[in-house]
Amino acid sequence: MHPSTTNLVDALLEGDQSRAVSETRQLRKEGLPIERIVTEGIEVAMNRLDDKCTVEQFNLLEIMLVGRATMAVIRELYPSGGSPPATKGIVVLCSLEGDIHDLGKGILEIVLMAKGYRVSDCGKDCAVDRLIDRAETDKATAICVSGLITSVIPQVKRIRDLCGRRGLTGVKLLAGGAALKQASAQSLNVDFVAETAFDGARFLDRFEKEGVAS
Amino acid sequence: MNSLERISAAINMQDPDRVPVIAQVFGHAGIVSGASLSEYVRSGELLAACQMKALKRYEYDAVFALMDVCVETEALGSSLTYRTHQYPAVTFHAFSKDTNLESLSIPDPREAGRMPELLKAAKILRTELGDDVLVVGCVLGPMTLATQLVGMKEALYMAIDDSEGFARLLNFCTDVLIRFGTAQVEAGAHLPIVFEPSGSPAVIPFQFFREFVLPCLTRLFHHLKGAGSLANWLHIAGPAGSILPFYEQAGVDIANFDFCVDPKDAQKALPRTCLDGNIKPLDFVEEPPETIARESTRLMNLFADRRGFILSSGCEIPPEARPENIAAMVSAARKTR
Repeated sequence: MHPSTTNLVDALLEGDQSRAVSETRQLRKEGLPIERIVTEGIEVAMNRLDDKCTVEQFNLLEIMLVGRATMAVIRELYPSGGSPPATKGIVVLCSLEGDIHDLGKGILEIVLMAKGYRVSDCGKDCAVDRLIDRAETDKATAICVSGLITSVIPQVKRIRDLCGRRGLTGVKLLAGGAALKQASAQSLNVDFVAETAFDGARFLDRFEKEGVAS
Repeated sequence: MNSLERISAAINMQDPDRVPVIAQVFGHAGIVSGASLSEYVRSGELLAACQMKALKRYEYDAVFALMDVCVETEALGSSLTYRTHQYPAVTFHAFSKDTNLESLSIPDPREAGRMPELLKAAKILRTELGDDVLVVGCVLGPMTLATQLVGMKEALYMAIDDSEGFARLLNFCTDVLIRFGTAQVEAGAHLPIVFEPSGSPAVIPFQFFREFVLPCLTRLFHHLKGAGSLANWLHIAGPAGSILPFYEQAGVDIANFDFCVDPKDAQKALPRTCLDGNIKPLDFVEEPPETIARESTRLMNLFADRRGFILSSGCEIPPEARPENIAAMVSAARKTR
């Protein structure tokens, strides 16, 4: 790790977006390539946050502040609106039809992007068919659905069957959010129910390492 | 004992004739009466009629004059979207971080948004039930109203970027809630439950709760009690273990605890406070009645030597819950007589 990225990691973990951006500018001035700022700065900060955020100590405020600082650094590095190059799989995510909450989904998007995934966001209030269409078009390795209301559960249960009909049998299915995490993976017919965004990312990382999702 | 006496005994840590049971049945009361959620949350008369039917059907110990978590923010100017089978949601937040609170007045519950309808529901229920069954109204907690007024993301950023402005917003929200809660008591509610999901440690660290939210909750409960509320009931969903020790300071008389909080930890944190909880809400949809009956019995056994317990779900029983599951919870409590 480049010694100077320590300051960037600290600024990100403190959620201090202006300091994170100025540390990023300094690193660029020193000639550190963008790719290394991503891997040695953003990804390291995300991994440290991951270690810190147990289920008991996971709170939205802290994650959002780190997320905001991370997005500010990404905007600094990719001013034309791009995102870090994906080194891992493609993840499609959404909040399902009837659910207009998207904060949890937004956090997952930042965490996955910072960890090297390409994220394809179908937004909120998304019909299952549209979700599957997107997964097919984008050649997704995983689908993540976030649910804050229990009434979306019947839709979640249909996803595997609909994926199967399109031949998307290798796509990993993840569920999360206050309502969905009350249920088991088996009852939702998904591969994993994540307690937190990091929990979900860890599950995907395991499959990446094993080459299952690639 | 009637229901109100039974609950009062639990609040005072005395022996009731049986374990009181409160099913957190809100929109479900509309569904089982054949009303859509969008109708249910907009008519005080319909809401009260559905609550009465549900009470007759299930025979639990409390009814709720409670619509959804958007009543206050709508009264302050936020726009909502209403869907037939969903609770309403905010589509436009009335406030931003730049709103000048000095220029705003506290909404009058007799005329602002759906507040009058909620008051109507409380009045009808109290007229019908007198002091036999607990009539519960509802106000949000100050943190939740703040997030409903400016949006969750903006509220949390504001709390960090402009903490003094955020503290002013919380105080303004508290003033709104005091007036609305007082009006509910005057209309007939025995007490308004205070819903504060945004105060959960899943959303904010416990230090933030202690510094920002606790003083406002304390003020709110002090005023509600002064207005004649029977008891202060605080409802914070999620992993609330780290903030339970602050409840006594806030003046809480009934503490709801969610399914993810260990009942023994809740007892330890609040030895002198009545607790209500904590069956997993989704179990009322997904599990058979035997599971609910078993879980009810397990909980009542855990609290058998303590008194001060109301059997309930950890949070709202989902509108689509299986009626036989609610009946199973009530039946388990009634067998303790």
